[in-house]
Amino acid sequence: MYNKAIGTVVLALGAFVAVFGLALMVILGPDGRFTSGPHAVDAKGVAVVTAPTVLSWKNVEIEILAEVPANKPVFVGVANSVDLQAYMKGVKRLEVTSFETPWKLRTRQAAGRDALPGAPTAVDWWRAHAAGLGGAAIKTRLPDETVSAAILSVGSSNLRGLKVTIAYGVQGAFLKGLGLLLVGGGLAWAGLLARRGESLWEPGEEADAEDSWSGDESPTVVLPRQAKANPTVPTAGDATEPGEEVHELYVYVDEHGVEHEISAEEAAQYEVVHEVEHVVDDAPEPEPEPEPDKADEPTTYFWVDENGVEHEVTEDELHEFELYDEDES
Amino acid sequence: MSRVLRAVGIAALSVLASGTLSGCGAIPQPRGDVALEQSANPSDVAEILDRYRDVRNTAISLLDPKPLSIVESGPVLAIDNGSFDVAQRLSRTQPEDERQLQVASVETPKFTQYPLWFMVTAFDPASRVNVVQVFERLTPVDPWLLVAAPQTLPATELPGLRHDDGHVIPVAAHNGKGMSMSPQRAAAAYAKALASMSGSSAVERDDFIKKRRAAFDQANRLEGVRVTQTWAAERVEHALRTDDGGALVWVTLLQLDTYTVDPGIKVSWPDGSPEQAFLANGISGSGKLRYYRQVLLFLPGGSNGKPRALGHYGGVIGGSAQAALSPIPAPGSNPLSPIDPFPIPNPTASPGEATPNPSPTSLPTARTHIDLNPDD
Repeated sequence: MYNKAIGTVVLALGAFVAVFGLALMVILGPDGRFTSGPHAVDAKGVAVVTAPTVLSWKNVEIEILAEVPANKPVFVGVANSVDLQAYMKGVKRLEVTSFETPWKLRTRQAAGRDALPGAPTAVDWWRAHAAGLGGAAIKTRLPDETVSAAILSVGSSNLRGLKVTIAYGVQGAFLKGLGLLLVGGGLAWAGLLARRGESLWEPGEEADAEDSWSGDESPTVVLPRQAKANPTVPTAGDATEPGEEVHELYVYVDEHGVEHEISAEEAAQYEVVHEVEHVVDDAPEPEPEPEPDKADEPTTYFWVDENGVEHEVTEDELHEFELYDEDES
Repeated sequence: MSRVLRAVGIAALSVLASGTLSGCGAIPQPRGDVALEQSANPSDVAEILDRYRDVRNTAISLLDPKPLSIVESGPVLAIDNGSFDVAQRLSRTQPEDERQLQVASVETPKFTQYPLWFMVTAFDPASRVNVVQVFERLTPVDPWLLVAAPQTLPATELPGLRHDDGHVIPVAAHNGKGMSMSPQRAAAAYAKALASMSGSSAVERDDFIKKRRAAFDQANRLEGVRVTQTWAAERVEHALRTDDGGALVWVTLLQLDTYTVDPGIKVSWPDGSPEQAFLANGISGSGKLRYYRQVLLFLPGGSNGKPRALGHYGGVIGGSAQAALSPIPAPGSNPLSPIDPFPIPNPTASPGEATPNPSPTSLPTARTHIDLNPDD
């Protein structure tokens, strides 16, 4: 009963983990990421930045690809929001205030001057950054701090015609999903075994693993043994069927591994740690055939004198002698 | 199932589970609340200090303070410019190995907006003092600059700083919670104590105050010379919470000495002194000398704690003199012997070592000469 409950819980947990791992593999695919874009962004100023609340996850791998027409210079970067907000102060920009997957943006246009306070390539606080002509891309893992992403024009250029592609995922997600699938499968298997009442260890190993029994009060192991009579299907592990005769024997195993039979009342004082089932055939073992001549042969008595010579004695004379069996003598 | 198969299964599961769990730290998860926080990270600090050291050494090698402007700012730069002027005149240099500051600790507060700053404690083997520096970045496009560098004696122990999540806690200039006064008021009270003849009961009369007052009194004892001195505290920008609930405050004070010299008398300073670098011809008539004094104040926690200076750094940043309009013939009295109106503990400072030795026992060696000039 106890094993069944544990087994059910482990089985359910294993199934959940396996399904989660499978889902991870299916959703993110072999490259472990989800890609969306390119999407056109109507950027009137010199910058597109995300608000501090937008990138609210950590340990997510993100990739941002910004493309602008006519080989215009463009810059992409991710930085701590304190740095980026101070950098963007007073700059005309498009601010992304919320983002939902796969691509749903809420934005607001902030008024300001059409120039950045300094070249983005000249500052040292970017967590990740890249610049290029016609396009730039970064790939970074979101840290455990509030960060914002920015797409900036470089020099006297602008961001008209901007297209953005984003990708996000988990590094090694496919392998992680596979691992979870296998672990979940293993747990489910273990749960099934537990439900069946099987153990991952042999009883003898379990007994060895237990502490030694120091006296009568705590035997090393108590094993109830179930013997059933089933002459036709003598297979171990079968459930007991109605009508079968069941004999329960209780034994404890001492520190030397020696089994001692005890009564059911004595066994009730101890915890049952292992159950073993033996199937016993109904057919009794054949009695050894009596030797044909020996059965009817009359008993002959001898007495042995001091010289070792045997003398036959009749039954009437027997009361004068002390009897010994032939083997004992 | 056989025992071998089961053992293999268990081992395989263990390996897979451990492999998977080892990557759990990198599993994406929401960060929770969005906290706007920024501080200098250790790798940034190491780079900043290396860059400062390189530029400082370059300036020292060239005997030119100009490179310092890319790593220093404000009062520190002004003070160092003054010291470089002196060093240029005297062609003083320092041995290379003595220019290396030995960083003892770095403390980085967290901020929600600019400016950002952090504190460095380092030992200066050249001056044999500890330097308690503050590096600041005003805007995201500015470099990190040294803005404060008061010096303490090696024996002086700084109060323990309170930490939150590994970062020290900045105190706003007007936040006097848990203290007898706010850092800004402490700075003002300290400036008042320096300017006052009788001192101020609001601050502890420490060695720095005693020495400044003694120097002022000595200058005023010169016959035919009147000296007035004013002190003003600048806005407090840097303060950190101490373990006792008080604050460690970097205070910048502007000291203005105004000399009025009777006709026929000239006040001059010896070669090599910072004052002489700015007033090469001395003062006859009237003149002014401006000093920046950076003081590291400890404002103890509790309502009765009086602020006191743990260290200081300073020097002349400017001077001007105006000759008397109608010189009067010399009275023919006896010339005044040289006296010490200002204790300048380290007059032989080399470039980058402009600060006076903060040792309370250091003797002033600068000389102020009051020369009677009968030709005037």
